[in-house]
Amino acid sequence: MNLQNLSIKRKLMLITMLTSSLALVLSSVSFLIYDLMSFRRQLSQDLMTQAEIIGFNSGAAMAFKDESAATATLSALKAKEDIVAASLYSPEGKVFAHYFRANKSLPPSLPSRSQQNGYRFEDGYLQVFEQVTMNGERVGTLFLLSDMRQWNTRAKRYTGIIIVVVLICGSLALLLSSKLQKLISKPILHLEDTMRMVSSNKNYEIRATRFYGDEIGRLIDGFNTMLSEIQLRDSALQRANNELQTSTHELEVEIVHRKRTQEELLTAKQAAEQASRAKSAFLANMSHELRTPLNAIIGYSEMLEEEVQDLGKISNVRDLQKIQAAGKHLLALINDVLDLSKIEAGKMQLNIEAFGIADMIEEIVMTLKPAIAKNANEFQLRMPQNIGVMRADVTKVRQILLNLLSNACKFTDHGTILLDVNRVPNAGQDWIQFRVGDTGIGITAEQQENLFHEFTQADISIARKYGGTGLGLAISHRFVQLMKGRIMVESAPGQGSVFTVHLPVQAAGEHPENTQSPETVNAGASSEVKPDSDTILVIDDDLAVRDLMSRSLTKLGFRVVAASSGEEGLRLAKQIHPLVITLDVIMPDWDGWTVLNKLKADSDLAEIPVIMVTIVDNEAMGRDLGASSYLIKPVDRERLVTLIEKHRAVRLSTLEKASALPANWPSKGQKNSRKPEAVGPRRH
Amino acid sequence: MGNDDYFHSGMALMRRSRLTVAVLLCLSLALGANAQSSDSAASSEYLIKAGFIYNFAQLVQWPSVVFSQADSPIVIGILGTDPFGTTIDRVVENKKLDGRNLVVKRLKWGKDLKDLKDCNILFVSSSEKEHIPDLFNMVKWLPILTIGETPGFATRGGIINLTLQDNKVRFEVNIEAAKQANLNISSRLLALARIVPQSADGRKSE
Repeated sequence: MNLQNLSIKRKLMLITMLTSSLALVLSSVSFLIYDLMSFRRQLSQDLMTQAEIIGFNSGAAMAFKDESAATATLSALKAKEDIVAASLYSPEGKVFAHYFRANKSLPPSLPSRSQQNGYRFEDGYLQVFEQVTMNGERVGTLFLLSDMRQWNTRAKRYTGIIIVVVLICGSLALLLSSKLQKLISKPILHLEDTMRMVSSNKNYEIRATRFYGDEIGRLIDGFNTMLSEIQLRDSALQRANNELQTSTHELEVEIVHRKRTQEELLTAKQAAEQASRAKSAFLANMSHELRTPLNAIIGYSEMLEEEVQDLGKISNVRDLQKIQAAGKHLLALINDVLDLSKIEAGKMQLNIEAFGIADMIEEIVMTLKPAIAKNANEFQLRMPQNIGVMRADVTKVRQILLNLLSNACKFTDHGTILLDVNRVPNAGQDWIQFRVGDTGIGITAEQQENLFHEFTQADISIARKYGGTGLGLAISHRFVQLMKGRIMVESAPGQGSVFTVHLPVQAAGEHPENTQSPETVNAGASSEVKPDSDTILVIDDDLAVRDLMSRSLTKLGFRVVAASSGEEGLRLAKQIHPLVITLDVIMPDWDGWTVLNKLKADSDLAEIPVIMVTIVDNEAMGRDLGASSYLIKPVDRERLVTLIEKHRAVRLSTLEKASALPANWPSKGQKNSRKPEAVGPRRH
Repeated sequence: MGNDDYFHSGMALMRRSRLTVAVLLCLSLALGANAQSSDSAASSEYLIKAGFIYNFAQLVQWPSVVFSQADSPIVIGILGTDPFGTTIDRVVENKKLDGRNLVVKRLKWGKDLKDLKDCNILFVSSSEKEHIPDLFNMVKWLPILTIGETPGFATRGGIINLTLQDNKVRFEVNIEAAKQANLNISSRLLALARIVPQSADGRKSE
């Protein structure tokens, strides 16, 4: 039990008891000591007197050396109980007579020699030495030994009395303090009770009672004041709490309201997205729907033009050419709008592949020849022999260059069109620089600012005069940006224009593993089956397409077998092993992807090049599934022919190497002037 | 401890001294024939007796008329053959009792009887056995402390008779004789003495 943790009551009692007991004990003990000391002095004085008497009485006996008389004198000491031994010494210091207390169990030894006069305390005994004289003459020495019996008895008795007194006084003090401590402890205990009640009941209305006007009374006053303060604050807090609850409730209502709004917004957003998706789907559908009839219009007008030309009806030829041009313009418009919407939606993807720059340029030049010839322009190509390979989206690069070059042709009359291709290292990277220059009408500085923005041509009048959608440069600009390149223009009115395009040799694209072009892969594959080198299998559910393809390709000297469904196409492919297969995507039953899969899965048919001819713009998918080329309807007939010629050339060279058979070049019925010499068997 | 040792050694010393006395006693008995030894024992006895005489002088009061002056000496007479030699002279030499010196005079029977009356203390040697009754008659009423060493000395009229008891010197006192001599003997002396009565024998012989 820790003394410090005692209750106030006990502490007060303890303090009182301790103090009073200590004072009592101290005073008693000091009195006892004083008394015992003076008693001892008195005792020794008594003993000295005793010694004097005995000494006087024994003087004669000593003088006459009468032992028995001396012993008799000493034996008178029997009456004195405290004297345990006595002896007389002759003047020479010899023991003359002695006395021992009879009932003394342990008789003390006597000093053999006499000592000086006086007394001394030794071993709890009082020793007295007294000169024995007769008529002033020393006749011997008396020795007395007292056990100080009275002193011991007195000490014992006094100690007992003191103990009893201390006990009585202590109990009186206990009684008194237990009564009086209430003066202090009662108000404190009451205060404690009150505090406990306040804290356990949280009732701040209770007040402590003040008993006296002392410090504790003031303490209780202070406590009561504090309680009043707390009560005041408590009620204030309660009020604040209520207000807070009210405002919390309001906030909750507000939150519920906002949540509802949020849900509405979410619903609205979903609806908007739904609408957007519907719009996109509609746009895609519409473009398909628009392209299908356009395909027929352009295809048939081309056919008709050729047939009418053969018949020599020049006026009709012009009309047909106008139809054809209008159709192509419309197609270009649709394509541009689609491209732009894709770009806007961030859905334009890059199909990065490696391709020979020279091949691509050659193809472009061939395509542009009519446009160059139209305004009697001269074309110059400057390109190093070893321009090599670049990795980029070849379709988009081609589109950019075609756009720039056709613009150049369009705005230049009797001038020169220049295409400059170069490899330029810059910023730790190899760049390919395409510069398209012309000597045409030029562009003003003002016009240059908006040149690459959508739907802005240099002048509205220009659109009327020269035609075009005004989207070409904007799309080119976007494509260049997609490929992390730059496009710039330098021009002045009447001075001609120079467009410069910088593209990285290694474009960071989505398909870096596709380092070889599909053509190369197919070209490298050898086949044991000897294919029909002139037969082309056309798989399309659209009769118009089948008809157009057959007619145009037959004219070029190919044998065309058409299949109206994927299943039929697959079967025919197995029978005839065609040189090339053209494949539509959207067909009933098996779609084009399925057919392509099956073709590539069949080891006999896997190496037959497949050219996708479709309105579905998903070249990446076709490439992944193994298609050699990808053409989007309406088919650019010249491009299709170029591709087929390329495949045939590859196939023939393979066969030559394999079987040393003489090449069967398709020289018959060739009308198209731009052909084989441009597309030779080439390795990248 | 030291004190215990002290006491023990004291006890031992005491025992040793007793032993010494016993040994000396045996020696003296065995060499009884030796005159020198016997002389020595006799001188020891008379040394004690001389002391006793001095002590008696201290414890006896004479009537004031005995001394003519305040510093008149106390005269000790030795009657008959002197057994003390110079011992008694040495004992009383330079001693004073109430301012009085002690003087020793040697007296012969017959020749110095006149001086006898001037003595305050008269030691009667054993050689004067035959003269004792005459002596007593002569000094009967005089304030003279008579001391003898003859058996029956006190009972026949002497005041103090020295005796030997267990080889120790004791004494007898005849209080009547002292009263006759007008001498006041201290109770302290009487307490040590053997009191003897005046015998009818002595009176008869008188």
